[in-house]
Amino acid sequence: MSVSNRPETSKTPSDNPQPGAPPSPSAAPAPSSSADYAASNIQVLEGLEAVRKRPGMYIGDTHDGSGLHHLVWEVVDNAVDEHLANHATRFGLTIHFDGSITVEDDGRGIPVGMHEKGVSAAEVVMTILHAGGKFDHDSYKVSAGLHGVGVSAVNAVSELLKMEISRDGHVYYQEYKRGVPQAPLAQIGDTDRRGTKITFKPDHEIFAQNPGDTSEFNHEIIIARLREIAYLNAGLVIDFKDERVEGRDHTFLFKGGIREFVELLNKAKEPIHDQVVAFRVEQDKVDVEIALQWNSSYAEQVFPYTNNVHNRDGGTHLTGLRGGLTRTITNYATNANLLKEVKGGLTGEDIREGLTAIISVKHPDPSFDSQTKSKLVSSEVKGIVEQVVVDRLGRFLEENPSTAKKIVEKAVMAAKAREAARKAREVVRKSAMDPLSISGKLADCQDKDPTRCEIYIVEGDSAGGSAKQGRDRKFQAILPLRGKILNVERARLDRMLGSAEIGTLITALGCGIGESSFDIAKLRYHSVILMTDADVDGSHIRTLLLTFFFRQMRELIEKGYLYIAQPPLYMVSIKKKELYKKDQEELDRFLLENGVEGLRLKTGDGGTLWGDSLLNLMTRLRRMRQALSKLERRGDPRVFASLARACLLTREHLKDRAKVEQAAEELRVRIGERYPDMLPLTVEIGTDLAHGGSTISVTSGAGATVRKSVVDFELLDGSEYGEILAIEREIQPMFPFVKLDDGAEGDVIGEAEQLWEHVDTRGRKGLKIQRFKGLGEMNPTQLWETTMNPDARVLRQVTIQDAIETDQIFSVLMGDAVEPRRLFIEQNALTVKNLDI
Amino acid sequence: MSRPCPICGNSVGDPHTNRAYPLCSARCRAIDLGRWFSESYRIPGEPVRRDDPDSLPFDPDEDA
Repeated sequence: MSVSNRPETSKTPSDNPQPGAPPSPSAAPAPSSSADYAASNIQVLEGLEAVRKRPGMYIGDTHDGSGLHHLVWEVVDNAVDEHLANHATRFGLTIHFDGSITVEDDGRGIPVGMHEKGVSAAEVVMTILHAGGKFDHDSYKVSAGLHGVGVSAVNAVSELLKMEISRDGHVYYQEYKRGVPQAPLAQIGDTDRRGTKITFKPDHEIFAQNPGDTSEFNHEIIIARLREIAYLNAGLVIDFKDERVEGRDHTFLFKGGIREFVELLNKAKEPIHDQVVAFRVEQDKVDVEIALQWNSSYAEQVFPYTNNVHNRDGGTHLTGLRGGLTRTITNYATNANLLKEVKGGLTGEDIREGLTAIISVKHPDPSFDSQTKSKLVSSEVKGIVEQVVVDRLGRFLEENPSTAKKIVEKAVMAAKAREAARKAREVVRKSAMDPLSISGKLADCQDKDPTRCEIYIVEGDSAGGSAKQGRDRKFQAILPLRGKILNVERARLDRMLGSAEIGTLITALGCGIGESSFDIAKLRYHSVILMTDADVDGSHIRTLLLTFFFRQMRELIEKGYLYIAQPPLYMVSIKKKELYKKDQEELDRFLLENGVEGLRLKTGDGGTLWGDSLLNLMTRLRRMRQALSKLERRGDPRVFASLARACLLTREHLKDRAKVEQAAEELRVRIGERYPDMLPLTVEIGTDLAHGGSTISVTSGAGATVRKSVVDFELLDGSEYGEILAIEREIQPMFPFVKLDDGAEGDVIGEAEQLWEHVDTRGRKGLKIQRFKGLGEMNPTQLWETTMNPDARVLRQVTIQDAIETDQIFSVLMGDAVEPRRLFIEQNALTVKNLDI
Repeated sequence: MSRPCPICGNSVGDPHTNRAYPLCSARCRAIDLGRWFSESYRIPGEPVRRDDPDSLPFDPDEDA
């Protein structure tokens, strides 16, 4: 309900005063020359005396400064009202050296004609509570009226108040002391200007009664309010002067009004669209002005005003704005098909996330919930504002689709985050509530000191079983984890971590998850070791886990708590000894070392190779074989090997027709001699216009085994061939080799391939090589010996750099960009190499 | 070196000052967490061969 109007005018408790007698000791008697004048004002003075007796009721606290500044607002309101009525363009406010204040506007000037009470209209305004409003209903369509009691209350508590009115070509003047007129309003001069100038000095008897009372005007408070008024009234010029201190003077003028206000509020933020959306509509005598802009933050910042007064608790205008926003944005987003990803739809809060807005309504007769006007309750305002928002914002969105999309996307993000947070809370709560579900899976260790404890996160149940048997239960815990495989439309098998698995993992680690509950200090193990198979599946699970840890538990990696176990891929048995080899690379090196052991070779250019020098040669040969295997996609590697071996052909040679023809012939002969399985053979010379040279096409085999190998600029320019050629040049002078057995010359080894085979055969002699297809193929003892025993195992500590790279790969895999993803999968899915950190 | 946030694409800034790194904000980190829990992070596998729909899409012997 409305309680906006007038506090009751309390009667003075004193007896009826005699006519002409001063109404109170503190009010000075009127000058004798106007005795009648004073007499006619007894009732009025009684009213003002009430204000002096209980100033708190009318103007607020007289001790903390709020009442004091209230006086300023009352006077300023009158000036603003003149602006709202389109009669004033500016006003000035000056704080004087003696603590008085002058407010001067260029409005119509307070009417000076005689009022029915027998005094000037201006004096009625100055001496009767609330007289301003009653005085001339049609003068002000809209009134700030904010502080309610009118300028007469200011007069009552001022030890001196001077009023100067310029109007109708004349200047009028009147002076009051503590509300008592010292003489009737008098014409004192002529002018061509108009306006009202009020100077008042707060009464020290009222505002400085106790030590510590605030009796001085605070320029910051006043400036803040003047700035606010200037924003809310586009085009109004406000001149502020403070005569007490130099350099505080300021003129406020915001032609853009609340649009500029919103720009100011968003200044330190990142707006998500450039233009502030602003509109002003008058409907049913209510003037509605709205400016809004979204920024990238999550806070909602909306300031509602009624007749220039901030309504701290909002009200019907704010409700209307919110309702309009929700309706408009939801409608737009639905029609534009932007809500596909949001199941539950957008809430008002989603939409208002990051919103900065001002809504300013000017209402001829507003109702508030209380004297302080903290909340607007005029019910019709809600519908008006909502309609204005739906019409105008709706139109804006239609006309600015790219801005509209940004606004909707922001709300969609908010909705997703809300849903995500809810989901996360639910899962964490579920897994925390049910310790049995985890104890069934987790084989915990006996020690409870995190600095000594390790947890192995093991892919698959069978490997988990071996790990549980093989571990040292004193300090090693085992958590088996299964990646989930999802059959997508029966066409593709995708891998992911199940939500229950993640829940179990979080509970086992004990350090919580999410903004409010994650605490690394609660981590139960200072070594978190991922142990997965060395296959595609294992590497996918590792990628998922690493990315999860990086994004959600970054500190775990930063503190160096995260490791990757390095289970061996091969076991080599020699007689009764078992050796484990981490990967193909390590196994190859071992086989070569074993193969060159005790072998001595005399080279074609007179040198001798054995031990390290021979091993180096073999390593180069292995490198060449790897490069050749990469050329598989271009044709039969033997064609390219022959090309390098027999012709040392370079890309420059392609321009030399004779050289090309010679190379083609050599290829034909060499392949014919050595590789009968490639027959029949066709070698053709073609033209490469782009590079100004020739190409050689080799078609080998027939029927199902037919294969085409093309020798062109691109091949010869490539890094693989370049490396092959370099190695060829290096090793060719050494051939043929002669084996030296106990110093005597033995078999001749003519070419690189023969040497390779010879060494490889020697290396493998008497060995049994077993490849572990998965962790599950190792028995508990083997797992302990190779991967879990702290004295023998190799752990790879995960660095932030590892995590960043993994996350990038992960992002490509998850990304919307179909093409890079397809390429990535094509290039890496089979080799696993890039996923394997 | 600032990376784009994997959720919204905004810059994630510096790990020393941004607690949510490698996400841009607590908000996006919450969205990420929600995606883990809703099982929307899936690493796409290779196509299943038409002639043998029950087969695994890869031969475990072929890797490494």
